[in-house]
Amino acid sequence: MLMAGIPRIVEQQLHAMATVEDHPDPNLLGAFVEKSLAQGEQLRVLEHLSRCTTCREIVSLTATQPGFAGAVLVAPVRAGWLSWPVLRWGAAVACIVVVGTVVTLRQQHESRQIEATISEQKPEKQISALSSPRAKAAEETTAGAAKPTVTRQMTRAMKPAENHAAAPSPVEMADAGVGSRLAEVPGRAKAAESQDAQSMKAAGNAAQVETSGAAVVPLVSTNLPPRWTLSSDGTLQRSRDSGRSWQTIQVADNTIFRALAANGLEIWVGGAAGALFHSSDAGQHWTQVRPVANSEPLADDIIGVEFTDTLHGKVTTSVQEIWITADAGQTWQKQ
Amino acid sequence: MPKQDFQPEPGVVAGLDALMAELYEKSKGEELGLTRQQFDSVLGEIARKYLPSDAAHHDLRGLYMSLRAEELVLARACAAGHEHAWEVFLTRYREKLYDIAGYITKESSTARELADSIYAELYGTTTRDGQRTSKLASYTGRGSLEGWLRTVMVQEHVNRYRRQRRLVSLDEETEEGSQFATPATEVAIAVDPRVEAATDEVLIALPPEDRFVLASYFLDERTLAEIARTLGVHESTISRKVDKLAKSLRKQILAALGRRGMSRRQAQEALEVDVRDLRVNIRSRLAQEKGGGAFSKKKAEAPADGS
Repeated sequence: MLMAGIPRIVEQQLHAMATVEDHPDPNLLGAFVEKSLAQGEQLRVLEHLSRCTTCREIVSLTATQPGFAGAVLVAPVRAGWLSWPVLRWGAAVACIVVVGTVVTLRQQHESRQIEATISEQKPEKQISALSSPRAKAAEETTAGAAKPTVTRQMTRAMKPAENHAAAPSPVEMADAGVGSRLAEVPGRAKAAESQDAQSMKAAGNAAQVETSGAAVVPLVSTNLPPRWTLSSDGTLQRSRDSGRSWQTIQVADNTIFRALAANGLEIWVGGAAGALFHSSDAGQHWTQVRPVANSEPLADDIIGVEFTDTLHGKVTTSVQEIWITADAGQTWQKQ
Repeated sequence: MPKQDFQPEPGVVAGLDALMAELYEKSKGEELGLTRQQFDSVLGEIARKYLPSDAAHHDLRGLYMSLRAEELVLARACAAGHEHAWEVFLTRYREKLYDIAGYITKESSTARELADSIYAELYGTTTRDGQRTSKLASYTGRGSLEGWLRTVMVQEHVNRYRRQRRLVSLDEETEEGSQFATPATEVAIAVDPRVEAATDEVLIALPPEDRFVLASYFLDERTLAEIARTLGVHESTISRKVDKLAKSLRKQILAALGRRGMSRRQAQEALEVDVRDLRVNIRSRLAQEKGGGAFSKKKAEAPADGS
């Protein structure tokens, strides 16, 4: 390291400051080297040393002798693990690790989404065939001879406008004849749908990939919770693609449902003549629940179902009766 | 054992009895033939040496607690001629004395000569008032006995070196060529007293450690590692300090010159003047001891180099 020099006048005056005062005895000089003097005494000796060439020689020769306990090489003061350089580099490394982790997780997530989409291409086709012509075209493109090249860059390149155009809304689907307009479902049905919408928002727009052509094919994520709704004709419908397409779920023949409560895997649907069905596996299997209170069964139309958790819920009837359960429908109380 | 005239000062030593007793026990003085009274006497002598007569109780206590009691007693027992103490001393330090001498002198015969000389002083060959005086009697336990021995040996070596320089032979001078050197010429250029005053002001305002580092690095030409080991810090710390000091000194002197009425340009020009060209004879100002030259081989310069 090239050390900065000092003006000659400084050297001269340093020389001139040399004193001929009483020198510290070897006891003090030795103790100074060993750092065993009190702070004040240490400073006084240092003050003398700064002016006395002879004592500096003695101290230096003493301190630099090998094997001398007082001459142990000390670690750099600023080289502690909390020093600024360490903190700076530490922060940089931490940032790199965090960014790397996020990118890796995102890549894995996107890969899963893409795989899921490709695996669901066949079932989607059936619905897409009935949807808008544009979606149909997109589907055709996807199912074309040349398989779509799915890349992350393309995913990032998608545009919101295209998304909107490519994703048929429930209304569009109703026009296409898959379902009717969204049912005016009281109670939890709306809340459930709203929840789903929020979760969709949080998860970001479902991954979409641009195929080799200009068309944009919507990708769906199986990780997203299914959305539930009741059609105007009282059928239960489920969407696994954030409402882009809907499937009718057969719960019971000829039953018109008017109320829906969806809470994770727990689905409750109620309808005409006290028909109340419960699924605890997201609609795979259904059980009819027959509420009875005071030996009187529920026979009126159910117009509202609300479940705050898996056990506690209430059912509202067309005659404004409220049936309450606290054990997942095992027992009921009427209010 | 030489009798010490210890007169405990009332009010100062009072209350320290328990501490002194504890120190005496730790020092194993009894085994080495040092009585408690003699031990107290030694402590009193050390207190008088390092503390003012009106030192506070806690200062005295702090001093006593910092002493290396066991080594102090060993040294004093040796000085008193205690046989077992000498056995212990020689077992511990005899080899070290020669090792230290070897490192200091870098030459085996000189090292042995130095070690033997020190050994003789420690044993006490000189007499004062008919009594043998041992150098070990001057050990006060402020640092370790080994550290003291090292310092004493270095001091002795420096003194010998200086004595030898005064008696340098004509042949040696001829070899060095210094007898033919051109006599130093004093250039008649006056130093602006304001520059000297400003520099002094800045230097005096520096902390002692900074001055020590400056003097060690720029005057003594010590290496960063040597300075670092002396101060017990890392070399990089000294490197940064030297660099910072060198930069800040110039600024501070310029500022001080500005306060003394110099313009910035004048001040800068004044600082750029090489002092070797001035009539100031640095050597004469440097000399602390008559006939004393620079000890270090690194900074030993020809006496007539003009500086």
